Amino acid sequence: MSRSISLGKILESRELLYTLLLISVILPIIHPLGIPIAVSARTKAVYDYIENNLKPGCHVYFEIYYEVAARGELEPNVVALTKHLFDKGCKIVYGSLASFGVIVFELMKTTAADVFQGREYGKDYVFLGYVAGGESAAASLAKSIKGTVSVDNYGNRIENLPLMQEVDKATDFDLVIIASSGTDTFAYYVRQWYTPYNVPLLFAALSIIAPSIEPYVGAKQAVGMLVGQRAGAEYETLVGRLGLGMASMDAQSTSHMLVLVFIVIGNVVYWSQRLSSKRGGGK
Amino acid sequence: MSLVIRKYIPQLIVSVIIVLSVTFYYIYINDSIAKGFSTADKALSDWAVIVTSFALIVGGVDILRFHLTKIRREGIRQAPFSTVTIALLIIMVVLATIGWYYSYADPKAGITITTQPQFRWLYSNLYAPADSAMYSILVFYIASASYRAFRVRNPPALLLLVTAVIVMLGNTTIGGLIWPGFLGLRDWIMTVPNTAAFRPITIGAGLGTIILGLRLLTWREISWMGRRD
Repeated sequence: MSRSISLGKILESRELLYTLLLISVILPIIHPLGIPIAVSARTKAVYDYIENNLKPGCHVYFEIYYEVAARGELEPNVVALTKHLFDKGCKIVYGSLASFGVIVFELMKTTAADVFQGREYGKDYVFLGYVAGGESAAASLAKSIKGTVSVDNYGNRIENLPLMQEVDKATDFDLVIIASSGTDTFAYYVRQWYTPYNVPLLFAALSIIAPSIEPYVGAKQAVGMLVGQRAGAEYETLVGRLGLGMASMDAQSTSHMLVLVFIVIGNVVYWSQRLSSKRGGGK
Repeated sequence: MSLVIRKYIPQLIVSVIIVLSVTFYYIYINDSIAKGFSTADKALSDWAVIVTSFALIVGGVDILRFHLTKIRREGIRQAPFSTVTIALLIIMVVLATIGWYYSYADPKAGITITTQPQFRWLYSNLYAPADSAMYSILVFYIASASYRAFRVRNPPALLLLVTAVIVMLGNTTIGGLIWPGFLGLRDWIMTVPNTAAFRPITIGAGLGTIILGLRLLTWREISWMGRRD
């Protein structure tokens, strides 16, 4: 009993868990384990949707709504999807309903310079920048982009950009992708883009908020969802460009396993203490 | 007069906008009227965008006021923190204004608010690492909390633990090495039991929004004006 109590006390110390957790995150990043990753049916379904439904010259609206803290989970998805769309010959209009979306887009473009290489700004892709107004802005963009914003993020007149002469309203787009670290953003697009205009939506969400937006996917209000870093790594494998997602998967695996080991040990100690005290009480 | 300006006029504006929004969205009489409704609805949305943009300025001024008041009340104890906040707020606004100016004055230079060199340096090297560090710290708390929370004290706790273990293993590459079925099982948990649990919450939130709208329309909801009387 005393042995299990002392083990319990050691495990109770947060410092031990924190130190081991730190090691389990840092070590695999320095020395990758290279564990192969299986592609889940959900990620494959998203890949297949783009592969089978989008034709060269199609138009995609891409909402960038995540702060730098969420880059690790969402950027792999955004980069891999962008590569896939460009490879398919799609043209992308990026926009953000969040002020921080502007800077994360620039950071994403810098880290994925190879994906944007050879793509002409204004013709192959456009970045509208920050559009203030939350759900009202989403509603307004769905009705008319040109009527909502007059210049893009770089100060160019919207009507002077060749791509923006091809698209203006929600129904001009073949797919709308929302990469967001907030739950509300998905609801905005379901309410303002899907319900009135029936535009196909695709979600890229943080693992922690994915459960709350799952009903939209279940109700077919979205064609699919990429969940967290794992989906990003899977999509990187599918499009053949390994990046941040794949590089971080080993760290995610080892840290998750460490927490699982601690949960198991914690329960073993808890039950051994409980059984011992019962036996002691019975005497 | 003051009560009319402070209370009745804002409430009347809200009520009129609710009635107009509902009319534009749901009522169909004929194509010509529908077109007119659509144009008016777009104008309402644009107004919301414009008002929100101005709200950002109000937010900036409010932060400034809040910290100046804090310095005045709490003195030297609070001064270092508030000074840093105010200084960075002003610096970022000034740098962004320079970027904005260049985007119009010299478009060929390619300098905009977000690409203004000093603005970008501060964001990338100060804000981004601080924001990421704040988020990263969560991993320790979540790990510690999950280790303490997942004690099998009763059958429902065992069910919660088993579900959590499957989802966690499904999220790792190591889980796939142990048993490839974890991935499919994780997806099933997310799409079936999880969706079943979240759908009533979503429907409840929707009903709550309708009730809030009705309360706003009938002037029963006044907390948005910052008071309860």
